[in-house]
Amino acid sequence: MNYGPLIFLAAFIGLSASWFGFVLTPQIQLGRAQQATNTVNTAQLYPIARPGLAQEGLEVYKANGCFYCHSQQVGQTGTQVNFILTEIGTNPVAVAEGLLTAKVGLTNANAAGLSAGLPKTILRNVPIGDAKKAAKVTRDNGASGTVEVVAVGPDIARGWGIRRSVAADYLYDSTVMLGSQRVGPDLANVGARLPDANWHYRHLYVPRSVVKDSAMPAYSYLFKTRKIEGRPSPDALQLDEGFAPENGYEIVPTDEAKALVAYLLSLNSSTPLFEAPVTVATAPAAPAQTNSPAQ
Amino acid sequence: MSSPLNQPQSSPAEASQSQRRGPAVPIWLIVFLFLLLYWGALYFDANGGWFSPKIYAPYRDVEELTALQPGGGGNEFFELGKAVYNRPTCSACHQASGQGSPGQFPPLAGSEWVLEEQPGRIIRLVLYGMHGPVTVKGQQYNSSMVPWNVLSDEEVAAVITYVRQNKEWGNNASAVTPDQVKAIREKVGNRTQPFTADELMKIATNE
Ligand code: HEC
Ligand code: HEC
Repeated sequence: MNYGPLIFLAAFIGLSASWFGFVLTPQIQLGRAQQATNTVNTAQLYPIARPGLAQEGLEVYKANGCFYCHSQQVGQTGTQVNFILTEIGTNPVAVAEGLLTAKVGLTNANAAGLSAGLPKTILRNVPIGDAKKAAKVTRDNGASGTVEVVAVGPDIARGWGIRRSVAADYLYDSTVMLGSQRVGPDLANVGARLPDANWHYRHLYVPRSVVKDSAMPAYSYLFKTRKIEGRPSPDALQLDEGFAPENGYEIVPTDEAKALVAYLLSLNSSTPLFEAPVTVATAPAAPAQTNSPAQ
Repeated sequence: MSSPLNQPQSSPAEASQSQRRGPAVPIWLIVFLFLLLYWGALYFDANGGWFSPKIYAPYRDVEELTALQPGGGGNEFFELGKAVYNRPTCSACHQASGQGSPGQFPPLAGSEWVLEEQPGRIIRLVLYGMHGPVTVKGQQYNSSMVPWNVLSDEEVAAVITYVRQNKEWGNNASAVTPDQVKAIREKVGNRTQPFTADELMKIATNE
């Protein structure tokens, strides 16, 4: 008997079902995503297109295979809501009583020492409704406090980001450098974590000059060693003893290294978004200035 | 083509056997599959986010996310005002910092027009606009501001409250309620002309 048509049909259905699931549905879902002011109560647009140099840096990142060892996706397993009391006002007793009667999870023991050592977290891991109720009660009693929303998860605990990565984070990447292996740390938020360009130059030149026993390969070929003629270059790396070149020579980054570092510094996913809410303690760093339109 | 799999499906003997045994798929399996499907549908409904591009694990629906948005802090009215201000209803001219821009748009931070005890004048000038010469914090301005009567009473009240109570700008005046805005809308009626500073000064602030 000839099973050809049946096998063809089965393969066709299998492939088209996965095409629907993996290509068409996500395209319908996210294909038209745009830069938006979705950070509730700020007018700031997100994401901002990378500056031109950083856009070139993405190519260098790709060409050097950084994605073999570094992912760019922070995961999150849950969210925790805390309430921080910042000011107690003139009537601490009323605040404490108000909080106790509102039944927001404050224990009698904690209520007693409410005004000591402010600001402090007085409610930890409570439902958001309770935290908001606490905020209202404190405000009505002349005190003030803030509701803090923090992301939790192993990646967050490692300090790789303050919230999970979402599609909007990758809007302007023409090749998304998600990565799949984590030989080194996740880099989705490295620009916020390590904002010092000189650190990155030294690290790329010889990782062990800044991180003891680093397992990352040295990308020294992105740098030039040259004889100092006249005054030393302002770009020259300030290396520690043992890594510095011999006297009279200096190490300067090539254009590729500069682009790569600009790209690393532009990796910043710590803006709170509607889809990934999180409280930022201090105002988020000003977004990078843009001089090129999105590609 | 001689593997046992490729044998004709049912020999006469088998056919009569299966008739005797009832349907090829047992009933319990069908019921089980339907139950599984039903459970799957319930699970999807509860956790799938219905394909919304805004929902990622560990969140389940838009309500959950809306509640978690930072800044809510229990002061929704102030936050609404902040959102209206930066829409950019007012921030386009007076700037997000409330400092305005010299010679063009007067500041709202520390402005005596904003900080008046009663909000009668500021409600009027926001609803109907303002033009002509005006002095703010000792500086002369002579320009015009667009009317904002398209906003709802609640939005107008919220945005003025945000401006008047913005501690970051050093402002700390009383809040404005939607009722106050409504009252002034009714009192002034169908006005199309913006107010001038002189006109506003003639109105007692509590009217
Ligand atoms: C062989 C795997 C490997 C490759 C390829 C690799 N790295 Fe790394 N990277 C590591 C390891 C391991 C660490 C952790 C040790 C350290 O900080 O040096 C690291 C750390 C880093 C850090 C510091 C992150 C932090 O939070 O401390 C940066 C930035 C970085 N790598 C960038 C790059 C760039 C850019 C490239 C491509 C040019 C690259 N890496 C290629 C393995 C690798
Ligand atoms: C088109 C730009 C523009 C927009 C938008 C705008 N204003 Fe104004 N605003 C002005 C100008 C110009 C003046 C000064 C008018 C004059 O010269 O008489 C002014 C004056 C004021 C004043 C009185 C002077 C002062 O600085 O205290 C207040 C209060 C005020 N605006 C509040 C607001 C609020 C609240 C909003 C948002 C609902 C808003 N404005 C939107 C341009 C604008």
